[in-house]
Amino acid sequence: MSTEAAKRLLWLDDVSILFGGLKAVSHFNFHLKPRELCGLIGPNGAGKTTIFNLITGVYKPTSGAITLSGEGITQHPPFEIVKRGIARTFQNIRLFGELSVLDNVLISYHMKIGYNYPDLLLRTKRFVTVEADRVKKALSLLAIFGLDARADLVASSLPYGDQRRLEIARALATEPKALLLDEPAAGLNSREKVDLMETISMIRKRFDLSILLIEHDMKLVMGICERIVVLDHGEVIAEGSPREIQDNPKVIEAYLGVD
Amino acid sequence: MNKRFFLIAIPVVAALYGLDYFLNEYINEYVVRVIMNCGIACILSMSLNLVNGCAGQFSLGHAGFMAVGAYVAATLTTVFPAGPSFQSHLGVGMAILSGGIAAGLAGYLVGLPSLRLRGDYLAIVTLGFGEIIRIVILNIEAVGGPRGLPGIPRLSSFFWIYVWAAITGLVLFRIIRSSVGRALLSLREDEIAAESMGINTAKYKVQAFVISSFFAGIAGGLFAHYQGFVDPSSFSFNRSVEVVIMVVMGGMGSISGSVIGAIIVTVLPEFLRFLDKFRMVVFPLILIILMLLRPMGLLGHKEIWQLFRFKRSLKKAVA
Repeated sequence: MSTEAAKRLLWLDDVSILFGGLKAVSHFNFHLKPRELCGLIGPNGAGKTTIFNLITGVYKPTSGAITLSGEGITQHPPFEIVKRGIARTFQNIRLFGELSVLDNVLISYHMKIGYNYPDLLLRTKRFVTVEADRVKKALSLLAIFGLDARADLVASSLPYGDQRRLEIARALATEPKALLLDEPAAGLNSREKVDLMETISMIRKRFDLSILLIEHDMKLVMGICERIVVLDHGEVIAEGSPREIQDNPKVIEAYLGVD
Repeated sequence: MNKRFFLIAIPVVAALYGLDYFLNEYINEYVVRVIMNCGIACILSMSLNLVNGCAGQFSLGHAGFMAVGAYVAATLTTVFPAGPSFQSHLGVGMAILSGGIAAGLAGYLVGLPSLRLRGDYLAIVTLGFGEIIRIVILNIEAVGGPRGLPGIPRLSSFFWIYVWAAITGLVLFRIIRSSVGRALLSLREDEIAAESMGINTAKYKVQAFVISSFFAGIAGGLFAHYQGFVDPSSFSFNRSVEVVIMVVMGGMGSISGSVIGAIIVTVLPEFLRFLDKFRMVVFPLILIILMLLRPMGLLGHKEIWQLFRFKRSLKKAVA
């Protein structure tokens, strides 16, 4: 048991959530191992994004418990959960549109602010060095995504694909142990999708973290995930390697229906 | 705190002191009065900008905070038994500071509901707060109730008003240009994303309210000690709206924009006095035209010096 538990970075134990009478997610059991790349798929309305919102604390589960590295995070507010190491992106991009690309990343460093009001009011040495370090760090992170040259631009002026990449960069700036990507390929063309696949594999290696991925693009999911969980009507209907999932009759039924 | 700061601050303070003398000796009282009102309006608009413009929390109760500051400071210098000891520049300074702190506390109380409300709903709550303050003052006999509070020592000079305006501008500017400022801006842009990036949104909303209302209280204290008289009607809903106009016209989140907005809203009606009864028709018309031409406010999200730098870099790009 203890060795089994140690292998779990994130653990959802029998989690359910009700919206009025609707069971959006019911008795969901799931764990994410360190450095794992896991896919979460399912038809529209299956409850995938709800699960993301449960993990990140946007929703509180009706029953069940969520544990991160052995610590219960079920009742924590979102900003506490980020501090403990879970970062996310959003299905419909939620950048700080009117702020610069650089500021978007700098905001993620705020939780380790490193100075207090007297420092910032008096512009002490501590303030100046912390700020300079942050900018340097943010720029080198943006460089990985090829965005450093456009750090001064307003985020909403970036092309769509770059906005998606910036959102990932912003999430990585919180230095997470687990990264949750909510349909990162939505709205990208096939060329950009290939780039994204490479980016995701690169992130995992370079930042040494686990990734949980919601995606509708089967080629992408099957191509990079080690393990896939299939969800329908809030319940897990299948789990396994991409190979197993592809051949699973239940999955085919959920996506295509039966005659 | 570096050398450059003192190199700028000392001449500025000296210049303000000199100007104070000059205005009192050579300029007629009406013009001086408009200049003083400008300074107070600047403090009000810059401070409201932190809540409305940066943190994106629509507050319509700024006059209420100003009233708290004005009455607390004025009470300390007049009604309070220890009154006479407050009748000096130092005493008035302390009284005004106390007014600011009291307003800051009021800001904390109003900040709390803002955790649950946003947009129009928050605007209504803050509006309600402003009115409650006014009505409460209206019913406190000890501070004169509806008759107002006369006999306040007229000790807030041009110098003190503009020193406080400079402090307000400097403090707010430094807050905005820091991690705290970025946290506030992220609230305005997208609260859910901010929370998901580790920003304690509740904490920063309340902080924004406290800082903003502190300076509104300071403005109130300066106002009271400049007028020598305060009554509840000075802090009506109209005053709050006026400050919102200054902020929106100057540009949300732009401190220099707020200053320009404050000056326009204070000075323009004076220039329109020749229109007599049509003044209050033409003034709103000018505001409407300004907003149509520059819907993001005069400066948008930028500071005035950023606009110039932008143009310069454009020229470079063209050449």
